[in-house]
Amino acid sequence: MWRTSLRAGCRGCRGFGPKGIWGSHAVRRCSAPAPALPAGRITARQAVDVWKRHFEERGVTEPDNSSHYIIAHLLGAKTIESLEHGKLTEFLSREKTEQMWQLCTRRLSRMPVQYVIEEWDFRDLTLKMRPPVFIPRPETEELVELMLTDLEMEPGAKVGADGQRTCLEVGCGSGAISLSLLNSMPQLKSIAVDQSQDAVDLTRENALRLGLQDRLQVYCIDVLKDAETVVSLCSPVSALVSNPPYLFSEDMTSLEPEIFRFEDHAALDGGKDGLKVIKQILTVAPQILTNHGRVYLEVDPRHPPLIRQWVEANVEEMHYVETRHDINGRPRFCILQKKKSNKDHRLDQD
Amino acid sequence: MSRLVPFICCMYGRVTWRGLPLLTPLPPGLPRVLAAGKKDLVDFPVLNEDELEEQFVRGSGPGGQATNKTSNCVVLKHIPTGIVVKCHQTRSVDINRKRARDIMREKLDVVYKGELSEVVLKKKEAELRKHEKRKKANDNLERKRQFKEALAADSTPGSDTV
Repeated sequence: MWRTSLRAGCRGCRGFGPKGIWGSHAVRRCSAPAPALPAGRITARQAVDVWKRHFEERGVTEPDNSSHYIIAHLLGAKTIESLEHGKLTEFLSREKTEQMWQLCTRRLSRMPVQYVIEEWDFRDLTLKMRPPVFIPRPETEELVELMLTDLEMEPGAKVGADGQRTCLEVGCGSGAISLSLLNSMPQLKSIAVDQSQDAVDLTRENALRLGLQDRLQVYCIDVLKDAETVVSLCSPVSALVSNPPYLFSEDMTSLEPEIFRFEDHAALDGGKDGLKVIKQILTVAPQILTNHGRVYLEVDPRHPPLIRQWVEANVEEMHYVETRHDINGRPRFCILQKKKSNKDHRLDQD
Repeated sequence: MSRLVPFICCMYGRVTWRGLPLLTPLPPGLPRVLAAGKKDLVDFPVLNEDELEEQFVRGSGPGGQATNKTSNCVVLKHIPTGIVVKCHQTRSVDINRKRARDIMREKLDVVYKGELSEVVLKKKEAELRKHEKRKKANDNLERKRQFKEALAADSTPGSDTV
């Protein structure tokens, strides 16, 4: 029993960090013995307390949240607060106890809780999670909220014969943004692209689970290497949204183990100034967007003024509209709009 | 100053909700009690975001892609009244924020309307129903008892009582 738990933990340890480099330092930590399964019966509450202590002893961050989310998930709830009254004081079955031990052992290796329980919520959706596909962050929920307010307010460019609006997402990851938009706007159609086949697969899986697959097309394309394909497949759209990799390369090494070891670095690293992918998106945007179409970006707090300057100097067709802040008051979202142009890039009438 | 206006208005018994003046308190009675149960007719106060202070624990780090924390508790404070609402019911920050505001509106409703607040009215409605139910049950028991007594009084020794 103990050996099985340990293997599960090690499987989780196989980080998706820099290709081929698997530090021995991490291997050593992984081989720390997992706490033994209890001999007798324990209650859910007791299991939570045992593991909270284990996490604290081994320096695992968020020791209480981690054990809470895991036990709640095992008992069929999303949060420990929403568990039925009295559930915590009930004895766990042998099977549930083993599952608790197995899942918590994965967390010992610093695997993010979202990967441990293989799901997470984004706004009103529950999405499947799988390493190394990027886990949606809470800030990004606000990006969707922002977009929905905008899209619902303006009568908008009616693209397509059926009057449906189309939106493009670059770097869809698990599909959180696109699926959330589709779920909230029945008249919207979406195209999502990602350079990672894992992300494309997971987005398709989540779309199917939510019954949104009819309104979503997902393609495996790298916008940096293959912009022409994006333009030919995706235009015209009335909105472009992205939570692109925006971290500065030098900041990658100081990331917490949960991120560094388990999430796809290509989904995080935006190059020296974090703007590599952002600049490409903004360069290509005028060819994809309808007139007055908008770009919505999540960025690093240092980016907004840099993006504004760069766009004014380099992308004549795009106008920087505004910067919005996230729940912690940090500049986080950039909204830009395509100026009306007389040239139709698609038709190439020159 | 403007943020204190709704509070002061309330103290003088003149409250405006959504622009509709409510000059006299509505008499508590059955029609009002019935209406209180329906969610869409509920008259909760509209929140002014300027009067709210929101805190969300994301740690001191840069946030965004650089952080992956699962804590998504939202703490909402209503500055004029000092009421604080904490919500971590769901795994979505966005939903916790919305729920925190719903709870805040309920609490403000109690503070501003006192006896007339939805929470108090619902309670009264429930108590009223309970009271009526009990009364009905007691009346039934009483009727049965009287019927039994009447039967016992009618029956004479030797005759068949079915």
